Amino acid sequence: MLTTDRVAGGALVLVALFTLWESRHLPLGSLRQPGPAYAPVVLALVLLGLGAVLVLIGRRATALAGVGFPEWRHAVAILAVCAFAALALERLGYRATVTLALACLLGVVERKGIVFTAVFSLALALASFLLFDTLLRVPLPRGPLGL
Amino acid sequence: MMLARVCALVPCLLLAAAAAAQEPYPTRPIALVVPFPPGGVADLTARPVAAALEKVLKAPVGVVNKQGAAGAVGMQSVATSRPDGYTLLLALSSISIIPEADKLFGRPPAFTVDQFAPIALISADPTILVVPADKPWKTAKEFIEDAQKRPGQIAFSSSGVYGTLHMAMELLSHAAGIKLRHVPYAGAGPALTAILGGHVDALASGPAVVLPHIKSGKLRPLGGWGDKRVAALPDVPTFAELGYRGAEFYIWAGVFAPTGTPEPVLAKLRDAARAAVEEPAFKAAMDKLETPIVFKQGEEFRRFFEADARRLGEGVRRVGKVETQ
Amino acid sequence: MAETLGNLALGFGVALSPPVLFYAFVGCVVGTLVGVLPGVGPLAGISLLLPATFGLDATRAIVMLAGIYYGAMYGGSTTSILMRIPGEAASVMTCIDGYAMARKGRAGAALAIAAVGSYVAGTVSVVALMLLAPPLAAFALRFGPPEYFALLTLGLLVLAYMSSGSMLKALAMAALGLLFGMIGIDQMTGYFRFAYGIVELGDGIGVVPVAVGLFGLAEILATAGQPTPPEIVKPRLRELLPSRQEWRESAWPIGRGTVLGFLIGIVPGSAHIIASFVSYAVERKLAKRPEEFGRGAVAGVAGPESANNSATSGAFVPMLALGVPSGPIPAVMLAALMVHGVSPGPLLVTQQPELFWGFIASMYVGNVVLLILNLPLVGVFVNLLRVPYPILYPSILVFCILGVYAVNSSVVDIWIMLVMGALGYVLRKLDFETAPIVLGVVLAPMLEMALRQSLAMSDGRYAIFVARPISGALLAGAGALVLLGLRPLVTRTLDWRARLALAAKGEEHP
Repeated sequence: MLTTDRVAGGALVLVALFTLWESRHLPLGSLRQPGPAYAPVVLALVLLGLGAVLVLIGRRATALAGVGFPEWRHAVAILAVCAFAALALERLGYRATVTLALACLLGVVERKGIVFTAVFSLALALASFLLFDTLLRVPLPRGPLGL
Repeated sequence: MMLARVCALVPCLLLAAAAAAQEPYPTRPIALVVPFPPGGVADLTARPVAAALEKVLKAPVGVVNKQGAAGAVGMQSVATSRPDGYTLLLALSSISIIPEADKLFGRPPAFTVDQFAPIALISADPTILVVPADKPWKTAKEFIEDAQKRPGQIAFSSSGVYGTLHMAMELLSHAAGIKLRHVPYAGAGPALTAILGGHVDALASGPAVVLPHIKSGKLRPLGGWGDKRVAALPDVPTFAELGYRGAEFYIWAGVFAPTGTPEPVLAKLRDAARAAVEEPAFKAAMDKLETPIVFKQGEEFRRFFEADARRLGEGVRRVGKVETQ
Repeated sequence: MAETLGNLALGFGVALSPPVLFYAFVGCVVGTLVGVLPGVGPLAGISLLLPATFGLDATRAIVMLAGIYYGAMYGGSTTSILMRIPGEAASVMTCIDGYAMARKGRAGAALAIAAVGSYVAGTVSVVALMLLAPPLAAFALRFGPPEYFALLTLGLLVLAYMSSGSMLKALAMAALGLLFGMIGIDQMTGYFRFAYGIVELGDGIGVVPVAVGLFGLAEILATAGQPTPPEIVKPRLRELLPSRQEWRESAWPIGRGTVLGFLIGIVPGSAHIIASFVSYAVERKLAKRPEEFGRGAVAGVAGPESANNSATSGAFVPMLALGVPSGPIPAVMLAALMVHGVSPGPLLVTQQPELFWGFIASMYVGNVVLLILNLPLVGVFVNLLRVPYPILYPSILVFCILGVYAVNSSVVDIWIMLVMGALGYVLRKLDFETAPIVLGVVLAPMLEMALRQSLAMSDGRYAIFVARPISGALLAGAGALVLLGLRPLVTRTLDWRARLALAAKGEEHP
């Protein structure tokens, strides 16, 4: 029976095993002189233990089916916009990226009017750039046209 | 109507672009990348450099801190940036160390030294050896003799394994035939705090940082890694004087551009650098930092850089991978 | 004492002179702005504005930088309370109960308590700084790797007291966070761990993207698509300030937070975030109704906020008294001094009395300025909550991206925030707490390094931890905590046996 605790516990076990696998190349060292793999291996073993316990006693938690993900479409959209921002920030420059990101969120995801979306996106992008890059000297990337 | 307007615009834009391409460099702000956090040696040296270059080139030169991985992040970003002269690097001696360390671990190097075209050396501070004032060693000779008697017992702090302060000590150890115990710390600041707290017995450090503590009597300088004595410490001999050849280490700062930057741009930058170090404002700023200006260019810089890189490369290989029993 | 007062008078003379006052004010305003920006904390703020101070004289530069530092600590609590996004890493704990208070309509109260708590902590700790700096600094220097390890172990145990839910789950999250902290270059040997060739991961994944992602982005992901908008009770004007009951509840936490934060701040290399975590745990342990924590306990805001503000004064102790860079922020301020030709060191007090006392006096002034700035702004900020959520969250998202990017000019940080945001969203759904992950990410590299440095110092002998007095004492304290924690287990077993014995007796004598 899949419960939240069991799923989480299982995932943690997988993370622990992955860590152990990835540490195989690093020297373990000894108790007197721990090597780079020492701490990760110990932690991975602890995580493995905790995850296993969670799986074993996880029967009493809420069933996975009971956890709703009603907002998952929005969540995916927001993550996609974030990813776009990460990719575009240094290529298109701050102002262009932010305008596009906001326009996407406000216009497409939240379905606000075109005029409002355009004005707000542009305004926030330019205002934040002015405040932080120009006034506070926080270096923000500029795009190909110096934007 | 709209279409006609757009068509009229296009040739104008093209002309403008062509004109911009022919315009003398620089036409845009230049970024001087400092691969270290603000407030560190590199950063404090870079800002007067940027200000002076700005005056000479008549274009804004901004310092951009891109720290991480002991400088590898910033250095890699410049190595892979567009070689148009608008991204420059202010590097410390670690630029020679990092590719060697990468080779040691068999990883693809974050960058290689030939990805950079040297512009000029700005400063070269020799490191000095300090010990806490309450330790019995009054001269370098006493220290080294003690180290020879008790190999691996005297501990020193450094800014990190294969870092500049570690390599300095390594060069001395090799030249003097001693073995010291290395306690790495996460940066030069913690390394200094460690020796001030008496947790380690020795430290190789840039002079400016430890001078106030020497003056107040908490630390004692024993020797210097330079080819000349440090101006502020005329009584401290250099290791070369004492006969330890090869113990030569400078924390130097130099300006580089990515390889592939067009020659005229490089020439302009080199001229600008030469003029920049003559600027009175720059000289005053470096004075305040107690960092002597050591300016080298062209052939002189190349020789200095290659000798330094060779020593450091050998040092890194000698240290090898830290063995864990 | 008389000399100190005389010096203080000199200091106030400097600090209240119009130009210096002006720069303190500018620093405070800029610091607040910077602090409100998610993720950008005092270190980033000071670093970014360091060049702007080069043209000023030394006193004004230091006063402005200190103002930015303080302002950022004040500003960081604003976004934490209003939107559950940590303004800087140290405000993560304020996110938990502060936001819960905001949900209940007590946003104004939370902001006011945070402001006043910060003011009290800031002022009291400056007094302590002034009077106790030299002996405290000497004590602080004696913290070497073994002491540090012992202190951090104590900090790790604090995790056990932080969870309002199942301790097993909190420990699992802590272990996960500790594991995340292992990413990066191993400072002792130079090996790259779990970095997969991405050089930017060399210094680890950084606490700022993790905190902003796990709290801020995850919050947005969980709330944005809700069919019904989040129920935030909009407070009325009268309800903006805390009630008398709330003031009473915050008094002791503020006091304890001040002391705790100051002590933790003195230790070279400690992070402010440790101070707020420890304060939260202590308050929870001492609270009469610990189940309130996580649902809007006043002490959960008052304690951590005071702690992280007094930690800032604590951080100055080694810097001012001995010229020792006890952390990244004091290091930047020392650099600012060096640039102006002032050589920091133990002689700073005697050689530059105007600078030193002016700086201290300006800290008093700065705290007052910030209190005056922040209290009226409570009303302004709370009104931000009235903006409809579908418009609010994209704007917040933009600022999160901006803040996370600005810290290191690195796009990799944005990706980390993204991944952490997704992780935080999933963990929330599965009913796991995310705060231990943040603490783990901060503690892991420090803990491991302290252990290995200690062993390097002692050539592999573990006895060093108990041979040195301070670390021995701290470890003994940790041991005592563990035993105390296990006591309920023991008493329950004894109880059970006693009941069994009684039942058996009862059977014998019906």
